[in-house]
Amino acid sequence: MKDKSNQSHSAEAETEALVNKNVSRRSFLKGAGLTTAGTVMVSSGVMAFDRPKPQAKKAIGPGATTINLRVNGKTRTIAVEPRTTLATALREHLQLTGTKIVCDRGSCSACTVWLDDQPVNSCLMLAVEVGDSEITTVEGLSKNGQLHPVQEAFIEHDATQCGFCTPGMVMTTAHLLRNNPDPSLEDVRHAVRGNLCRCGTHPNVFKATMAAAKKS
Amino acid sequence: MASKKIKLPYGIPGHNLTEIEREVPVDEPPAWPVNDELKVVGKRVRRTDARDKVTGVAKYTADIQLPGMLYGKMLRSPYPHARINSIDVSGAESYPGVLAVHVFKRLVGMAESQESADSRGDYPEIRFSGQPIAGVAAINNDVAEEAIKLIEVDYQVLPFVVDIEEAMKPESPNVYATNVDQEETGGGGGSDSGLKTQGNIRGPSTMSFYGGPRGDVEKGFGESDVIVEGTYRTQVHTHSCMETHGVVIDWKPQGVTIYTSTQATRGVRDEFCALFDMPKSRVRVICEFMGGGFGSKHSLGNYGAMAAHLSKKSGRPVSLMLDRKEEHIMGGNRPNSIQLLKIGAKRDGKIVSLKQRSHGTAGVGLGAGVGRIAQVMYESPNFMTEQFDVFTHTAPGAAWRAPGNVQGALALESAMDELAEELNIDPVKLRDINDKSEIRKVERMKGAEIIGWKNRKAAGSDAGPVKKGMGMAQSHWPRFVDVNSTVEVRAFRDGSIEVRSGVQDIGTGTKTVLAQVVAEELGLQPENISVRIGDTLFPDGAASGGSIATGAITPPARNAAYSLKLKLFDQVAAALEAESSELMVADGEIRSTKNPEKKIAFRDALKRMRTEQLTTSASRSDDYGGFRMAPWLAYGTLGSVQYAQVTVDTETGFVKVDKIVAVHSCGRPLNISQVESQINGGVIQGMAYALYEDRVMDNETGHQVNKGLDNYKVPFAFEIPEIQPVIVEDYAGRTSTDAYGIGEPANIATAVAIANAVYNAIGVRIKELPITPSRVLEALKNA
Amino acid sequence: MNRFSWFDATSIKEAFEQVTATVSEHIQPKGPKDAAVFKTGGVDLLDLVKEGLANPSRIVNIRNIPGLDEKSFDKKSGLRLGANVTLAEMAEDPVIRENYLALHLAVNHAATPQLRNMSTLGGNLAQRTRCWYFRSLDHECFRKGTGTCFAQDGENEFHAIMRNEDCASVHASSVATALMAFNATVEITNSKGEQKTVTMEEFFIHPSDDSRYECILKSDELITAVIVPPVSSGTKSAYIKQGARESYDWAIADVAVVAEMSGSTCKKVEIVLGAAAPIPFKSMEAIGQLKGKTINDTTAGNAARAAMEKATPLTKNGYKVDVFNAIIKRAILQLV
Repeated sequence: MKDKSNQSHSAEAETEALVNKNVSRRSFLKGAGLTTAGTVMVSSGVMAFDRPKPQAKKAIGPGATTINLRVNGKTRTIAVEPRTTLATALREHLQLTGTKIVCDRGSCSACTVWLDDQPVNSCLMLAVEVGDSEITTVEGLSKNGQLHPVQEAFIEHDATQCGFCTPGMVMTTAHLLRNNPDPSLEDVRHAVRGNLCRCGTHPNVFKATMAAAKKS
Repeated sequence: MASKKIKLPYGIPGHNLTEIEREVPVDEPPAWPVNDELKVVGKRVRRTDARDKVTGVAKYTADIQLPGMLYGKMLRSPYPHARINSIDVSGAESYPGVLAVHVFKRLVGMAESQESADSRGDYPEIRFSGQPIAGVAAINNDVAEEAIKLIEVDYQVLPFVVDIEEAMKPESPNVYATNVDQEETGGGGGSDSGLKTQGNIRGPSTMSFYGGPRGDVEKGFGESDVIVEGTYRTQVHTHSCMETHGVVIDWKPQGVTIYTSTQATRGVRDEFCALFDMPKSRVRVICEFMGGGFGSKHSLGNYGAMAAHLSKKSGRPVSLMLDRKEEHIMGGNRPNSIQLLKIGAKRDGKIVSLKQRSHGTAGVGLGAGVGRIAQVMYESPNFMTEQFDVFTHTAPGAAWRAPGNVQGALALESAMDELAEELNIDPVKLRDINDKSEIRKVERMKGAEIIGWKNRKAAGSDAGPVKKGMGMAQSHWPRFVDVNSTVEVRAFRDGSIEVRSGVQDIGTGTKTVLAQVVAEELGLQPENISVRIGDTLFPDGAASGGSIATGAITPPARNAAYSLKLKLFDQVAAALEAESSELMVADGEIRSTKNPEKKIAFRDALKRMRTEQLTTSASRSDDYGGFRMAPWLAYGTLGSVQYAQVTVDTETGFVKVDKIVAVHSCGRPLNISQVESQINGGVIQGMAYALYEDRVMDNETGHQVNKGLDNYKVPFAFEIPEIQPVIVEDYAGRTSTDAYGIGEPANIATAVAIANAVYNAIGVRIKELPITPSRVLEALKNA
Repeated sequence: MNRFSWFDATSIKEAFEQVTATVSEHIQPKGPKDAAVFKTGGVDLLDLVKEGLANPSRIVNIRNIPGLDEKSFDKKSGLRLGANVTLAEMAEDPVIRENYLALHLAVNHAATPQLRNMSTLGGNLAQRTRCWYFRSLDHECFRKGTGTCFAQDGENEFHAIMRNEDCASVHASSVATALMAFNATVEITNSKGEQKTVTMEEFFIHPSDDSRYECILKSDELITAVIVPPVSSGTKSAYIKQGARESYDWAIADVAVVAEMSGSTCKKVEIVLGAAAPIPFKSMEAIGQLKGKTINDTTAGNAARAAMEKATPLTKNGYKVDVFNAIIKRAILQLV
């Protein structure tokens, strides 16, 4: 249950704690001044942070609260405000920056992650509402260094250009293959109908997904 | 300089391939044969960075998180035109979590927004809604957003105009009070310095780098048997890059580091240094991965200037990424156009006169010209163009994949289609008559064959409400060169090889082609080569724009590898008991050409180097035989021909593109799969331009109303047609790689090929993009 | 987003103790600054909060309340869908596909697969319009209760062509189009535990009746279920949606037709248009034309024309009349 990450505070947790307590700007700057470049802002001793037990609570916030997130098979503890989206929590609190924010409104699916094996838009979900669900991000798709067949096929069939939509495309098509081992072109189009690609790599995404299905 | 003569492949394989002898500098490598005879170049090689992209490891600017990093946000004007009386930032300054606040006092150049000196007050005048005014840096984005709202601005609201045709009226509010000269951002040309501004109309420009008018157009029309004349309109569309524009700037006393999503690391550095009066030696620009640019990411950007100010003030790194709405407003847009085009031809199809007049708005910026393609694609003894920029109270336009040509092609290639109909000559044949380009002739033939052009029916002849049609169009793009392109190749004793250049990979696969070219030269495989680019610590590279990068950076990459190879030969010759001049590389070995027994594995040869590293570097040579215009415009064309097949539902007005055959040349193609990917992308963006995307401005409030990716209609999976890219090798023997880019050409002909196919389907021509259901139904009703 | 606290309700009673306003009541700038609002899937709410149109001080999550995600079906009483059933669950449901084809199609054409995994039926019905003026903080408009309708003479290419005199927005739910055609009802539970059931026509509020609200929900009320009546064996249905894009878009026009057929004769029929008016619009004119008739090209065309007879298109959306004419006719013809 207890994960090692419980013990180490992220820089974000500390900074948010400062804001929550409405520390005056002066003392804030004083705190900040203690640090040198390359370290976190304040040492945890200076601004002790009242840390509630990381478990589902009925009423939380608006300040930062520690929550547990089950991500890619590990339980991670982070301090987030209720307004922190899952996408931001993954990117800024857990440094899982593979998940991209593009439209920030659920209109492009670049932020697709799996919530208990269902693809969802992490930009339109709050970190606090994830609860016990298991999150899988693009960083968690390969197992023991072995790429997912979709990832292999994306490389093989040049299904990336700038690559910014790629994590969302990969998560979406990998999910398709879980439920449909032999998708038609039409099935692939249906699966990625909400995934925007601006470089126009769609034809190779279609090709790669169907090729991955044949291999897996 | 000493020279030598070499013979290079010349022409189109399978058509007219031959050899050409050219006198080249003595240190140039020998000519490569055609791709068929090469090992690595011209093949389908996997992207060297694809694994990083599919696993989420690739770090883009948006992903950079530095210790102590702050988040920046800018306050933007809610009014399209206003003067600022006063600004009070005290609320933001005292807000907990805010570490720096900056107000733009000076807005010049591309990095900050344009401002003519005479109108400068305490604060720059607001000329479009969304214009940045001030910024804050705070501990996170949420705090920054809250603080921005605490900045109080007292505006004097002024009348505005956002619609181009309204702006052209004499009574319309003026965007600028005086003549305006500034660097163009739209990229289409037509904005020569010194042109007069009357009201909001600046021009006309009658010149381009191809020269001025030819002959006498009116006399030409007098001699014509058939004249086709029309007005064509294109919309403003936004680049909508997946990764928004943005920077992370770390201003330290000893130097400034800029992480930025850019297609020009060097350009950003130079702009930053000019703006902040810093020596180039103390500024480093890094772009390892970037999420799309399409022409819009050449500049430091006003966000970059703001982040720099904030980082300097706070002493912390500052990340400032635009959000999606800001990206739509300020992330670049292709200027619109209203074009008059008139073509006169003889009965036999020969064009005798071509006249063009255009107006377009790049908002508060310049560069909405569209004239270049009509000037050069067809032989017409008489030609003239008049291009006007129209100022509106909207954000500055930006170059967008083949700037000017995509708009210009709509008029030119639609008119050619009309002319063919008038003359009762097949559109492909009409091009054969007037187009001197051999490569496009071959491309027309190949494309016609694949699409089944001979099955094309008479316009509007399909029975029933759902009709199919076929159309074609072609394009020209110059071979631009940037000789300021340098590559360093380093070999290490441990066997590893590294390629270094400041050039960046915009998503086209620049890293991979560099690895291929160096691998080919050294007899190795691309995976043996580490490519480090996108960093101004390395020698300057070209911008990834104008389809320049491949043609600019691969010849010096090959040349640097070649000179490394010669140095290595010198160092191992003795051990092989051979002359260094008899040595060659192949399949990972250094061998004697005289005695195959004398050989050493390349890796083992590196172990014998005198020093731990051996480094060579080369800059882009001049083209063999010189330039069309030194040192930036090469001879030849990047020609393309595209064929489109569409279905039009005449009851609902909806158009669906079924198939595009896109036949392209880019000199020597280096990586087939990457070239195909870029063609796919150009076609899809062209289709988006033809049918879907349109920036919608509200005339009453001066705001863009479709600032999301839900209501700004970028196409998704079901809109994507079947695309068949066809690559035609076209050797010119001008450089050591003879390779050029494909970014721009891929995007030019698609929209008008679709427009011509829609005409073929329904028998009514639609002269305005995008071809929406509304326009199709209206055209059918008026027919 | 603004700062807000979070409450994870485990019962309806608990939720009502927290909530102080509906999202519509809270819409800025007219609504109360301080409000606790419901969240189900959160797709529309978070969009509104990100835009600054809503800045609740508390969000009350009702997504995890047990029982609200249940669905049941029997041939006699029909289909009952809990308010928290997701669109994805509906899209894949074989019962819906077999018995309520138009609903199946409407759900499958809604949003994206990702959004369908998140969106709940209740949230889909209670969502606010996608009108770009309504969604913009820069435009204080009629539907926010703070001005006039910018779309009347403005950028109205996707706006209403019927009943559009005060506000030309259209309701965003294409699922509602199909539900109304099946004469579905909405079960609403209030804070006292009392339940009422209203028709879809009663559920939605036209802007001319009340500018700020798109549905009748009050802050002490909650959708708990949607009930779709049983269909007879002769019932056939069709649904067609036309968006600017096929992949993922809101409707420019959509239509659901549900008819009780005897051979090719239409005994009873419902025809509902989406994206035609500010709320889903049941066309009595089209229904009157078609009822009792044998369906063929002529009768289908007549019904479509009748539906469009009272259309009052604006400056840029006249084409929608043609689009409706075509898809209504085609949907009717799909019945035979």
